[in-house]
Amino acid sequence: MIFADGITLLCNDIQVDPQDIVMLVLSWHMKAGTMCEFSKKEFTEGLQSLGIDSLDKFREKIPSMRSELKDEQKFREIYNFAFGWAKEKGQKSLALDTAIGMWQLLFAEKQWPLVDHWCQFLQARHNKAISRDTWSQLLEFAKTVSSNLSDYDAEGAWPYLIDEFVDYLKENGVNQHGQINDSSLN
Amino acid sequence: MSNKRKRNFQFRFVPDAEAEYFDKNWNILEHAIRDIYKKGNYSHHSIEDLYRYAFNMVLHKSSDKLYSGLVATMKSMTSHLKEIAESIEATQGGPFLVKLNRKWNDHSKALLMIGDILMYMDRIYVPRTKKAPVYELGMNLWTETVIYSNQIRTRLSNTLSELICRERDGEDVNRKLIKNITKMLMDLGLSVYVQVFETPFLQVSYEFYRAESQKLIECCNCVDYLKNVERLINEEMDRVNHYLDPRTKSKITYVVKKEMIENHILRLIHMENSGLVNMLCGDKYEDLGIMYNLFSCEIDGLSKICEVMTSHIRESGKQLVTDPEKSKDPVQFVQRLLDEKNKYDKIISLAFNNDKMFHNAVNSSFEFFINLNPRCPEYISLFVDNKLRKVLKGVSKDDVDITLDNVVMLFRYLQDKDMFEKYYIQHLAKRLLSGKSVSDDAEKSLIVKLKTECVHQFTSKVEVIFADMKTSVDTMQNFYASHSELVDGPTLTVKVLTTRFWPTQSTVTCKLPAEISALCEKFRSYYLGTHAGRKLSWQTKMGTADMKATFRKGQRHELIVSTYQMCVLILFNNADRLSYKEIEQATEIPASDLKRCLQSLALVKGKNVLKKEPMSKDFSDDDVFFVNDKFSSKLYKVKIGTFVAAKESEPEKVETQQRIEEHWKPQIDAAIVRIMKFRKQLDHNHLIAEVTKQLQSRFLANPIEVKKRIESLIERDFLERDDIDRELYRYIS
Repeated sequence: MIFADGITLLCNDIQVDPQDIVMLVLSWHMKAGTMCEFSKKEFTEGLQSLGIDSLDKFREKIPSMRSELKDEQKFREIYNFAFGWAKEKGQKSLALDTAIGMWQLLFAEKQWPLVDHWCQFLQARHNKAISRDTWSQLLEFAKTVSSNLSDYDAEGAWPYLIDEFVDYLKENGVNQHGQINDSSLN
Repeated sequence: MSNKRKRNFQFRFVPDAEAEYFDKNWNILEHAIRDIYKKGNYSHHSIEDLYRYAFNMVLHKSSDKLYSGLVATMKSMTSHLKEIAESIEATQGGPFLVKLNRKWNDHSKALLMIGDILMYMDRIYVPRTKKAPVYELGMNLWTETVIYSNQIRTRLSNTLSELICRERDGEDVNRKLIKNITKMLMDLGLSVYVQVFETPFLQVSYEFYRAESQKLIECCNCVDYLKNVERLINEEMDRVNHYLDPRTKSKITYVVKKEMIENHILRLIHMENSGLVNMLCGDKYEDLGIMYNLFSCEIDGLSKICEVMTSHIRESGKQLVTDPEKSKDPVQFVQRLLDEKNKYDKIISLAFNNDKMFHNAVNSSFEFFINLNPRCPEYISLFVDNKLRKVLKGVSKDDVDITLDNVVMLFRYLQDKDMFEKYYIQHLAKRLLSGKSVSDDAEKSLIVKLKTECVHQFTSKVEVIFADMKTSVDTMQNFYASHSELVDGPTLTVKVLTTRFWPTQSTVTCKLPAEISALCEKFRSYYLGTHAGRKLSWQTKMGTADMKATFRKGQRHELIVSTYQMCVLILFNNADRLSYKEIEQATEIPASDLKRCLQSLALVKGKNVLKKEPMSKDFSDDDVFFVNDKFSSKLYKVKIGTFVAAKESEPEKVETQQRIEEHWKPQIDAAIVRIMKFRKQLDHNHLIAEVTKQLQSRFLANPIEVKKRIESLIERDFLERDDIDRELYRYIS
């Protein structure tokens, strides 16, 4: 088993920041069960599938792994994978803080303008763990609904939390560019 | 050879004789026919002779010749008839019809005479050959020559129509004459009647009634207008009865109704101050009945009445239930609903012929507005409570039945039947425990009625409640039977309630006085001795006590109090004055209940067995209480504090709502799972719709709630979303 220390060492060797999102991509390739842990099987099989048998090759592979995030389909897989990976072993839902951290990481890549509002909203109104369904539906929401919410369908099968988020945005006067007018939220 | 000749000879003989006979006598007949036409008599011969000639001709097989001869003769009479026609045409003015009628009579009579003579031919030859009988031949001749002559035909139509118009305007006309003419036309054939008289008549009538309706609608109110229409219809029917053919009756009635009603239906219904709504409000049964009868002939007439009535009921019902003034007193509120329903039932039965469409409209309207006030379930239960506590005492079984049926009817309209159930059980429990129910039979009867409306679950709960009551009585008997030493002490009556079925109770108990609590313990050990494995918890909030009290001036009274009140009063056996704090500590009664309790003991006029210092309404720890020596009451038995079910306060209401919603969650879950298991996959909107439909007999499911439950089921791996279509759910088996 490789734990947090081992991972830090690894990151040093491949010259990547442990917080770098490419670590998530790597974990995805390895089909890692939990963050900050690699089992021997996961590690070796993952490296095999990537065709890595030396540190040099490893370093070379990093940029291509990064670019995988640009691919729509792969991004979705990685995103959904992230839920299971980031949550506590044995828990069904993802703790809010972890979820927010993950979202900020992921949506920095994906460029979703409402991500900050979403996190603010969750901390103000929800304060509970995030279900898998909500997690995966959020990506769909970010992809399909425009940031001024003009095409949001209230009768659609969006999870209740997302409906509440939309209400929250409307209450606080989100304008065309996804900026909240109400200064009291600062 | 000679035989042949003999036969030929024979044949030749008979035709000759026949021909001779025919020719000789045909002349006579022909002349006779002409004479009858021209002069109206038989001239030289007797009717018997003429008859015999014709008879023999038929007998000797000369019918064909006879018939053709007749036809030819009649044809030749055409010029004679033309003269007659001209003379009729020449008549000016009124006498025109008179002359026509007279000439017709003459012609008719002539035909009859000819018919008499040729009767045998009519009877034997005509049916066999399917030719027209004598009378008919004559009719056709008359029709073609006289009636359908250009001048006469138009003039006749116009004259008849004009006469009728004049009669409508109020003039007297010669009804008998017109009757004769129309009868003539009918005799000439239905198509003649229709073409010459009926069609132009109806046309004129259309115009007349169109004008009439415009005139009347401007100056009449709704009822007067309708009554006028009735009058006009009656007049037309009278007209038909007197001098027109009965076939025309339905046609002219149709004309009147079409022009006077159909074109003005909406205007009549919506007429200000006299239209439908006005009639409904004023219970004007007769007027409504007239409207119903007249409108029922129009295609949409009744449904238009129904529409307007429906929206009126909905509107006024909505005002009734959302008016805060009117919803203050639950019993009155419900009574108003019942009165409203009775009002409309009466209208439908007296004026609308018990028409099912109207009953349905009333039902759907009531269902609509009753559910606008979310407190209706509670109020209806309170209404029932009121009836079963007081009002139905000593009332006959039939009247009880009527009241209960009314309640069930309102219950049917409720969307939130669950809510009613919850309140009903609460109120029922209070009634039973305080012994205030007027009649066990009435209670049970209501349950039976509700059972047919509800899911079984509800009534089975109630049955357990009743069973508990009965069992408790038995238990008490057995308890005292086996504890004879307790007979001299205070008498305990325990009702053992099965937890799940009775309304939820509190777990807080107060501190009972020593002698009582000892007794209670004895009961507890007795009960648990015979019912091992059960747990008993005393519900001190709900008990009652009868106490004998002697006041300082010697007044003796029996006080009927609650358990809490009893605990408080007993303290004064050992102390003259007690502070609020001391009472609180001694009894351990929760503060809000204690305050209420002390209020009823000290601050209610006529029941103040205690006195409070200071006399203020609020309570502080240092307030002091002592027995009221001057207490007096006319009655020996004094009841202090009752358990009458009151309207819930706001916070209680919210709590109830939350509890009910909790109760709904598993039901929604079950419905979703059931549907998805069957359908395997279903999209979001359809799923919501089906769930709502399945649950609608119990309560109105909130789509947001259903959505939340769907998410919860996804969480719990009962359902999953489809990868491609995010609005599609799949059942995970």
